[in-house]
Amino acid sequence: MASSIIKKTTTATGFIKAIESGSKHLLLKRFTLRFPEQKLKFVGDGYQFDPKRGVGIAGARGRHILFHEKCTGCQLCAITCEGIAEAIGMVKISEKWKQNKKGIMPQIDYGKCVFCGLCVDACPFYALFMTNDFELSSFTKEHLIYTPAQLAVKPKYDGSVDIKIDKRGAWHG
Amino acid sequence: MSKEYDREFETKFQETTRLGLEVVKESEEDRLMTLSVGPQHPGSGHFRFTIKVDGDYIVYCDPDPGYVHRGEEKMSEYRNFIQNIPHLERPVIHDSTNITYSYSLAVEELLGIEVPRRGQFIRAIASELNRQVYTLYWLAIYGIFLGHSTMFMWPAGDRELFIDLLTALSGARVTHAYNIPGGVRNDAPNGFKEKCLQYVKYFEKRLVEYEDIFYNNPLFRQRTENVGILTKEDAINLGVTGSVLRASGIPYDIRKVEPYDVYDEIDFKVQYMKTCDSFARAYVPFLDMRESCNIIKQLLDKMPDSGEVRLKLQSNPKGQPGESYKRVESGRGALGYYIVSDGSPKPYRVKISVGSFRNILALPHLLIGSKLGDMPSIYWALNYWPVEADR
Repeated sequence: MASSIIKKTTTATGFIKAIESGSKHLLLKRFTLRFPEQKLKFVGDGYQFDPKRGVGIAGARGRHILFHEKCTGCQLCAITCEGIAEAIGMVKISEKWKQNKKGIMPQIDYGKCVFCGLCVDACPFYALFMTNDFELSSFTKEHLIYTPAQLAVKPKYDGSVDIKIDKRGAWHG
Repeated sequence: MSKEYDREFETKFQETTRLGLEVVKESEEDRLMTLSVGPQHPGSGHFRFTIKVDGDYIVYCDPDPGYVHRGEEKMSEYRNFIQNIPHLERPVIHDSTNITYSYSLAVEELLGIEVPRRGQFIRAIASELNRQVYTLYWLAIYGIFLGHSTMFMWPAGDRELFIDLLTALSGARVTHAYNIPGGVRNDAPNGFKEKCLQYVKYFEKRLVEYEDIFYNNPLFRQRTENVGILTKEDAINLGVTGSVLRASGIPYDIRKVEPYDVYDEIDFKVQYMKTCDSFARAYVPFLDMRESCNIIKQLLDKMPDSGEVRLKLQSNPKGQPGESYKRVESGRGALGYYIVSDGSPKPYRVKISVGSFRNILALPHLLIGSKLGDMPSIYWALNYWPVEADR
């Protein structure tokens, strides 16, 4: 029975055990991730979706990447986002693409985006994926709005730190 | 008490008349001091309760939830079944997989679909991992409010192990949006099984250290043992759930009572204690964490190596007219969704039944008659998450 699991200890042994258990950790490596210097390694290049099979491909959900040569301006991503965060708006683009007759592409406001990735699930043309880039802070609200040209840039992310476990404990390294 | 009070009054009277001041004898009611705990106080979360104290004893308690009410149920009526997922996990972002799990189960019943077997296993694993994340977060807060800083640091650090696993699985650290009607959003990445087993084995060793430094610590035992007794009969009459109910000696777990998905194939014990005090309510989640490690290992073992994880649905699925009610065991107890559909792509009515709101009903019952110093150990042991209770 569960109640028999608790060991009855006296006050003295209880204190000694607690101190012993805590003082062991003086010799261990610290677990904390020293963030700006160290960055976590993610699986793959970010969350992607395969509309043919109807299933996603595992990856981190950071900011989006937009492939201009595939986007048709169908607005399905914006329609999905309407009920979630209203972060995606369709804007006119100056360049001409054969498959995009309306000449519109999504523009994403990262002040509103919740990074759920359901817009990626909605895209039937492999045009909108997500990347590992999560460092999006800026000094003004306007800089958080990413235009289609900004979304097309593939970010550089060089996270290489993983959690390692051995006899001495766990640490980021 | 009244004799003592009269004597005290007498000395005060003599003193003040010597100084030439007027004295008014106060009534019993005036002696009580009203204290407001929260909603800004960090020791209560976004939750306020008013208490009246007579000396050191609490004689009155009035919980006042509702500070973080956002109308999740009404919001659900304006969005379709898939769009509902990101906002429905906001009430408990630390347990976001479990709160969307029961929603997915209820919607699947309305849509009349069954999830592929590998999908069922993966979402059960995600649910167990997320329950660990929630329980560790709760344990960290419980530790710091009883003045034990180490117990704040350790669970907050070890929580990172499970967050790392869930990031690999779903792509987000906290708000996963991973469960979806029809299965899970994506398959587990390569090497997930080995990584998960390694972390769980390490975590089991850490749990022994938790017991040494916290649960067997005489200071913690003195503050929680025989404090806030909730008897078996009271627990049933008040309608509490989850770890609070199991700490009162009732082995009731939704995973065992109404097995969902693959839980009927898993061999595990329902952890419960018979001491009915704050210590039992703090220790049962710890035992659950230990049992959860076993469940994760079994799930990983029995999981099929390949197969579909998500059923391909049409883009805007319509529910059959009718109603469904499904519940899962979350970190705070039974978490159920009652959904009514009228045949349109949007639900007609969504009712969320959460464990937190039921457990807070026990707060006045436990606080009245106890000492003011026991308030944090009683309040936090109730496993209450204000944002979830307010919905």
